[in-house]
Amino acid sequence: MLESAWGWLIVSYLFLAGAGAGAFIAAVACDLLAPDWSKALARGGSLVAGPLVAVGTACLVFDLEAGLWQPWRQFYLISNLNSMITWGVIVLSLFIPVALLYAAALNEITFVGRIAKKYLRPLEYVGSALAIGTAVYTGILIAVVNGVPFWNTPLMPVLFLASAISTGLAAAMIAAAVIDINTIRTLSNFALGHVIFLSVEGVVLMLLVFMSLTGSVDAAESATMLISGRLSPYFWILVVTLGILVPFVLSIVEYYEYGAMPKHLVVGADLLVLLGGMSLRALIIYSAAPPQIV
Amino acid sequence: MPRYGIAIDTTKCIGCHACQVACQNHNNLEPKEQFNWILEREQGKHPSFSHEFIPVQCNHCEKAPCQRVCPTGAIYTTPEGIVYIRKERCVGCKYCIEACPYKVRILDHGDGIVTKCWLCIDLVRKGGEPACVTTCPNQVRVFGDLADPKSRVSKFIARHRAQPLRPDLNTVPRIFYKRS
Repeated sequence: MLESAWGWLIVSYLFLAGAGAGAFIAAVACDLLAPDWSKALARGGSLVAGPLVAVGTACLVFDLEAGLWQPWRQFYLISNLNSMITWGVIVLSLFIPVALLYAAALNEITFVGRIAKKYLRPLEYVGSALAIGTAVYTGILIAVVNGVPFWNTPLMPVLFLASAISTGLAAAMIAAAVIDINTIRTLSNFALGHVIFLSVEGVVLMLLVFMSLTGSVDAAESATMLISGRLSPYFWILVVTLGILVPFVLSIVEYYEYGAMPKHLVVGADLLVLLGGMSLRALIIYSAAPPQIV
Repeated sequence: MPRYGIAIDTTKCIGCHACQVACQNHNNLEPKEQFNWILEREQGKHPSFSHEFIPVQCNHCEKAPCQRVCPTGAIYTTPEGIVYIRKERCVGCKYCIEACPYKVRILDHGDGIVTKCWLCIDLVRKGGEPACVTTCPNQVRVFGDLADPKSRVSKFIARHRAQPLRPDLNTVPRIFYKRS
């Protein structure tokens, strides 16, 4: 009765929506700030952003019960503006088409892409706002839940935004490597992004755990589960070591050894960031402990 | 309008689970589905110890977190102050289960919707009392109108200084407990 009502579908959704939004931000940042460095990163990021968020949204829909086999009920989802899910539905249904249009524009896919290319800058600005909205929203979704004191903190959206940008950058870099493996040298420039956002993620995660340990008894129960309890092996190995520390060190090396690092290590660091992001979402959902009521 | 609520005297509860069975009976629930159940708490060590039975159910909170987070607007508060689920609007997103601090909402896999205690609104509107209240052999539960200071439940709460579970969670529950 006390196990979490949400399972791996919601975990996947939180991860995919974050990674997709992050990939969009990485693509726009690359196209606006460093168009000469690597076209492949902007192209790769834009190509994966929309599909990642769309697959994540599909996970969300498959997690529904009556809303899945009576799909017309989904129209009710925008009824309550006090609910974060209502806002999420609005943001997602705007972001997915914009992200797909941006991918079409940047890669000049069919006539749609040629038309959209004329509006590249507006697409980038509107899309970035929606991407940040998507990433932050996944954090607010669980931060407003007072049934789980561990989630109920403003640090949650910050953590999810930082994690979304680092996983998104990782997804974009992997896509760029797939498009053109030779650009992997120039990708070293973007390893700095990993260094910055992984450190932000690490600091915010540390704050979240420490604040929870010293806060309410209920939040401390979840935090204890993560650092020394049932979930601690996953937390220390998957999230802290493989998800943050190893890619952080690899990215520093990558940035300073410009282009000299073996290709599989570059892609490996990105895969580890993705693994860490997914594990972080999973552990936050599975460590949910309700308040002690008696 | 009335604001219905229940006061529960845990010192009288013997943990017989009659309330749970009466509720399942009245609401045609499967054996595994429950709208109310009994938590147990033990304090102290033999020979000085106490064992407490605490019946729990939906608190019909004045500021219901489930109602705030429900994206479809399926959850609303009836004029009698009962937090009610419109079955035909629920999509089964389970956000309300996460939001409820008391974890008294259950998923009905058959209909694919979330259900919970509805304070037997069908019986109450006919002038009766909820099944868990009337079935209890020890009259642990006192049902009535919290808005009326002269009702039995209001007097009970005032006399015994009954408190909701975790009032600090600020949801303003309408189930009160006399714990000792």
